[in-house]
Amino acid sequence: MKLTIPGAGLGLLALLIATSAAQAQKRSLVVANSTADAGKLDPHQTAVGADKGMLNWVFNALVRIKPGQINPEFIEPDLAESWTANPDRTEWTFKIRSGVKCHGGYGEFTAEDAAYSLKRAADKARSAFAGDMTPIAAAEAVDPATLRVTLKQPIPSLLGLLSNYHGGMMVCKKAAEELGEGFAKKPIGTGPFMFVEYQPQQFVKLVANKSYFRGAPQIDEITYRYMPSDATRDLALQNGELDMVFGRTTDQWVQRMRSLKGVKVASIEPAELNALHLNIKAKPLDDIRVRQAIVHAIDRKAMVALLGTQVSREAISVIPDGNLGIARLPLPDYDLAKARKLLAEAGYPNGLTIKVIISTHPTLSKIMEGLQAQLNAAGITLDMQPVDHPTWHQQIRKDLSPIVMYQAFRFPVADSYLSQFYYSPAAIGQPTAVTNFSHCDVADPEIEAARKEPDLAKQKLLWRSAQEKILAALCSVPFSESLQVWAWSDALDLGYEMVGSLNLAPDLTEKTRFTK
Amino acid sequence: MLVYLIRRTGLALITGLAVLTLVFCVVRILPGKPSHVILGDFASQAAIDALDKRIGLDRPIPVQYLDFMGKAVTGNWGVSMVTDRPVIAEILSVLPWTLELTLAALLIGVATGIPLGVLAALKRNRAADNVIRVVSLVGLSFPAFVSAVLLLLIFAIELGWTPVISAKTGSFKAWAQSLALPAINLGLINAAYITRVTRSAMLEVLHADYIRTARAKGVPWYAVVWRHALGNAMLPIVTVIGLFLGILIGNSVLTEIVFNRPGLGKLIVGALSQRDYTMLQGLMVIYTLLVVAVNVLTDLVYGLVDPRVEIR
Repeated sequence: MKLTIPGAGLGLLALLIATSAAQAQKRSLVVANSTADAGKLDPHQTAVGADKGMLNWVFNALVRIKPGQINPEFIEPDLAESWTANPDRTEWTFKIRSGVKCHGGYGEFTAEDAAYSLKRAADKARSAFAGDMTPIAAAEAVDPATLRVTLKQPIPSLLGLLSNYHGGMMVCKKAAEELGEGFAKKPIGTGPFMFVEYQPQQFVKLVANKSYFRGAPQIDEITYRYMPSDATRDLALQNGELDMVFGRTTDQWVQRMRSLKGVKVASIEPAELNALHLNIKAKPLDDIRVRQAIVHAIDRKAMVALLGTQVSREAISVIPDGNLGIARLPLPDYDLAKARKLLAEAGYPNGLTIKVIISTHPTLSKIMEGLQAQLNAAGITLDMQPVDHPTWHQQIRKDLSPIVMYQAFRFPVADSYLSQFYYSPAAIGQPTAVTNFSHCDVADPEIEAARKEPDLAKQKLLWRSAQEKILAALCSVPFSESLQVWAWSDALDLGYEMVGSLNLAPDLTEKTRFTK
Repeated sequence: MLVYLIRRTGLALITGLAVLTLVFCVVRILPGKPSHVILGDFASQAAIDALDKRIGLDRPIPVQYLDFMGKAVTGNWGVSMVTDRPVIAEILSVLPWTLELTLAALLIGVATGIPLGVLAALKRNRAADNVIRVVSLVGLSFPAFVSAVLLLLIFAIELGWTPVISAKTGSFKAWAQSLALPAINLGLINAAYITRVTRSAMLEVLHADYIRTARAKGVPWYAVVWRHALGNAMLPIVTVIGLFLGILIGNSVLTEIVFNRPGLGKLIVGALSQRDYTMLQGLMVIYTLLVVAVNVLTDLVYGLVDPRVEIR
């Protein structure tokens, strides 16, 4: 090929234009969440969604769910390049990626850091997720590039446990030991963005980790703002002061944001399951006819209409949709006549009143008011005692409310939700209590057997059977699922297809960039 | 004066100790625990118990009380139970924002409220008086968060004069822009109160004998109004300003939230919802000190504006 002078000139011009266009592109990103301030900026200690989302941009895990996805089937290597397991899946060996640098000059990330991280995540004095890590018997660095993880027994998804979610996040040992309690004020990870500044009640500032092992990020700086006022976040996005905001889960908000020029809106996974957990050991709910009356009195379609069709959907099982192992079950029909008949058979021909403690949290109280109206039509009066959210959390953990409306998702493998909400050791009052408000124990054998089952197809059958039994016993009445809602500038290219984010905020990666 | 100050300081200390005790009791009577907030709903009972032990909530209440009082009087307010950051550092990092907003709002309130109150009194039952009374009534009854959003819509979105996010960035212009709307929002409510009190205080003194005498002696009208009348009407106005200063410090929370400004109000709401006992205790001490300081200052100003008030 012959290069002519005019041709070279045109090429140079094109290059200059491209270069100046690239330089003109925005490279700093401002994101706002709805909390008033940061909590602990330590991935093993924070249970606050707003912090988890941001810390996901700072930390890596041994494996990760592909950005934009939430399904464990999308698990791919992160700090571990590869892994193997022994035949009974109790001993796992991970090959750690070489050349990964910890932020702030804390050296190279090795298997020793990985082993330290897992032990730290399993330590209840230093981790909010210690309970999740109990299946791990030992984590040891065989050499700087090899980590061995030994389990007490096989579990459904060790890789899920070690992914970029909760206790799976990897910290750098030297930084965590040197900083001690101060680590929560200066988080040191290996991710695409590094923590540089925190201003109380204002923002956390992150900058690009130029030596990130997947390549230097195309965004130079992220300002993560804490903005509790919905109206202010919306106005600031409209005014161009923010590039991405956490939204309100209402159809009105989605429609209003969609009407703004240059704004993208997405209802994203994971969906939180809205379910009434009925205490099957306490009167009057120990009578299954009363529980059946409740389930027939709830119109799931009407609840979705109340919550918003663009931000919620009908429940399909006793665990959230999108979980590995979910079974689409035929949930009982809405039938008021049947509900009244069942109540009469149970000895309540004139209806009954149940005292329920509810949270004053706006989302939860709105749902409860909708349910109250529906149940009232069947002759079931909910005598609601509103208390503030922290009080509600405490009181429902003392078995003070026979009905608990809980909105939650867990790591999307059926075992997580089943174990925490329907497994007898997790029942309220037990030393190992988590959130089994219904005191459900009908599916314990299936839940336990599924954990040990190495064959995924058989495991799924066991999970299906567990869900069927729980539904038959009506430990809970699932009715809807609520999605997360975010809006961002259409000039922002996330670098992947957005389906959802387990950490409740869109993943910002080295590929995230502005297109103009 | 010195004796007065020493006596007031002594009383303030006793008040402070009483408030500390009250706060300690109240925050522990409230149901809900910080460990639930910190660990979230994933936590097992064992993890919650472990955290309670780490932050000292497993100890008997009297032991916690003695420990708290001992630390409080020595200035060691501990660390936030939720964030692990030192309480004093958290408070000091947002205190200047609250003081700045409070003083600016007070300035706007006084600069607007007193002249309008005087004018309304002078034009009693005439058009100007009616307009001022209606406007001040609107100011009193308008919720701060509604007026805040309206101000943002007009000045930030439509006119583009100020940012939506009120955070100073170094330059004087940026600082002034970020302070203007929040200060106006709070200041106008303040002005409404001051206008009404000034009007009624002025109406009382404008019919006094010494005003009539001054006018009969040929004292210029402006001097009669601003020196003789307003000077004698200042006591209730100063009282209201003093009271409002204390209320402003506590009431600024909605303005702080809507304009996304840091401040003590936001800190106390967060600490309350998270049951952050140590932070709540530290904040109560600061609020008590501020309110006591404002009261002392108000008493001192009484002596300055009215020679009949003697400070002993």
